[in-house]
Amino acid sequence: MTATPEREEIATKLLAFIRERFLSGDPQGELTGETPLLELGILNSLNTATLIAYMVEEFEVKVPLHDVTPEAFKNVDNLSSMVHERRRSADA
Amino acid sequence: MSGPANLHELMAEAAARTPQALAVAGPCGPVTYAELDARADALAGVMAGHGVRRGDRVLVWSPKSPDALAAMQAVLRLGAAYVPIDPLSPVERVATIARECAARAVCAPADLLSRVPGALRELLACVDTAPPEGTAPPDGAGPREPVSVLVDRDEPAYILFTSGSTGTPKGVTISHGNALAFVAWAVEELSAGPGDRFANHASFSFDLSVLDIYAAFAVGAAVCPVPTEFAYAPARLVEFLHQEHITVWYSVPSVLLLMQRDGGLLDRPAPGSLRALLFAGEPFPIHHVRRFAEWTDARLLNLYGPTETNVCTRHEARPEDLERDLPVPIGTACGGDRVWASTPDGRTAGPGEEGELMVSGPTVFLGYWGRPPQDGPYATGDRVRVRPDGSFDYLGRADGQVKVRGHRIELSEVTAALHTHPEVAEAAVAAVGDGLDRRLAAFVARTPASVLGNIALRRHLAQLLPPQMIPDDVRFVDELPRNHRGKLDLAALVSAHNT
Repeated sequence: MTATPEREEIATKLLAFIRERFLSGDPQGELTGETPLLELGILNSLNTATLIAYMVEEFEVKVPLHDVTPEAFKNVDNLSSMVHERRRSADA
Repeated sequence: MSGPANLHELMAEAAARTPQALAVAGPCGPVTYAELDARADALAGVMAGHGVRRGDRVLVWSPKSPDALAAMQAVLRLGAAYVPIDPLSPVERVATIARECAARAVCAPADLLSRVPGALRELLACVDTAPPEGTAPPDGAGPREPVSVLVDRDEPAYILFTSGSTGTPKGVTISHGNALAFVAWAVEELSAGPGDRFANHASFSFDLSVLDIYAAFAVGAAVCPVPTEFAYAPARLVEFLHQEHITVWYSVPSVLLLMQRDGGLLDRPAPGSLRALLFAGEPFPIHHVRRFAEWTDARLLNLYGPTETNVCTRHEARPEDLERDLPVPIGTACGGDRVWASTPDGRTAGPGEEGELMVSGPTVFLGYWGRPPQDGPYATGDRVRVRPDGSFDYLGRADGQVKVRGHRIELSEVTAALHTHPEVAEAAVAAVGDGLDRRLAAFVARTPASVLGNIALRRHLAQLLPPQMIPDDVRFVDELPRNHRGKLDLAALVSAHNT
């Protein structure tokens, strides 16, 4: 088992993925950990499914159904906390 | 005409017949008919105290919940019309709709009510959807004031605001008689009974939900609302279908496709309870319909109708439809309506000919709120071809209205919203891609020296539009391509976008 990545590291990867896949690369670098993803239409139902598939693959975490909530997917900060928490409890 | 004359009689009569039966089941329930009846009366009392009277409009801005259903019934019981608004709609849009229909009150849960700005509070009474303290015992028994104002069949029951091509949402006004004609048809078509469990996938602000809610109420069956957040987790939708023993499922095809692709819907045997799978709102690609037909013995019914007409044609997928390489036909008239295709020169199209679908009959709406009443047949703006048996194949739109993941969107409303940003010089919007890849793309030319970014523009749009109308893709371009006549060349933009 690899060591649990830091929350910042997870956030960096998630930000990069969202920029590349959903924001044409985000040339102005506007996306931050606090950008509301659902409210701004960056995550629609389809993009969310794509993002979950990435999270499962990249961070080797399970995303249980009850974790898929508007609160968890509100922004990258919340998402990386969730992934970090899942990783830590899996490693423990 | 026999049967109830008012939409709110359906739930009230079920509560009288079978008070202990479940009206709401699943993650949003359980709530019995007696309980829902009591909550509706209690809320009606509160609203009456705020001055809501026969002929008024009341906004119901809420996630799906028994409280929201009770609020809708409470409004009807006062002889007023409810206006359901998606919980994800920005408050600015709520304000626009409130002004458009001169609403008397807004009914919402406390967290949404707290977002209503002061200026709007001066126009609208704010009513919390939570059951008022001490008004009714939870079992629905005990003394209380039943409220039931009966109105004429042609008075408005609810108003559904849809995307408007002028940039302002349009209020499709449905009468009690319109809704009841549609519900009576649905109950008969589905042979619905008290043992049914209707899934309710669509938001209450979307016309698909009318069938789920009121077909259930009409027969004293349970409606099982799908919590809004399940939309982001296809596997949860699949789990819901099985766990809740759903008998009738109704959604846009894209939801079923997402459940298939990311939720493993077809990898498990179909739930034995499922007896009808209804879809509407956009064409269902035929190769997918074939897989669903192999998966389940449930009836596969394609329902067609703009919000303005409820459902006005239906078609049950048969083996011979699955052999064609065309989408399932939209079928033949239902709900007591008359449906025909009109050619550009005003003739009724015959077999093999194309035309615009026209509808007249009991399910056709009263008109758009605040505009002249709908007079004569409703021209849908949908192009169809008449089949040899007189039924219809859907061909597409005649105007700038698109469907993306089942949401009806007027491109010009999104364009108008883009143009309200001071740094947008020119903008165009198109729906690109097919099936699950279909998305809304915006092409934006900025004013000189502007460094407006994707997210900054989204923040602006989010103040005006619900999330499903915010473009999935935002592309900044130097200028919008024009053809030699100076007309916007949307095809050039879309093909450049796809490469």
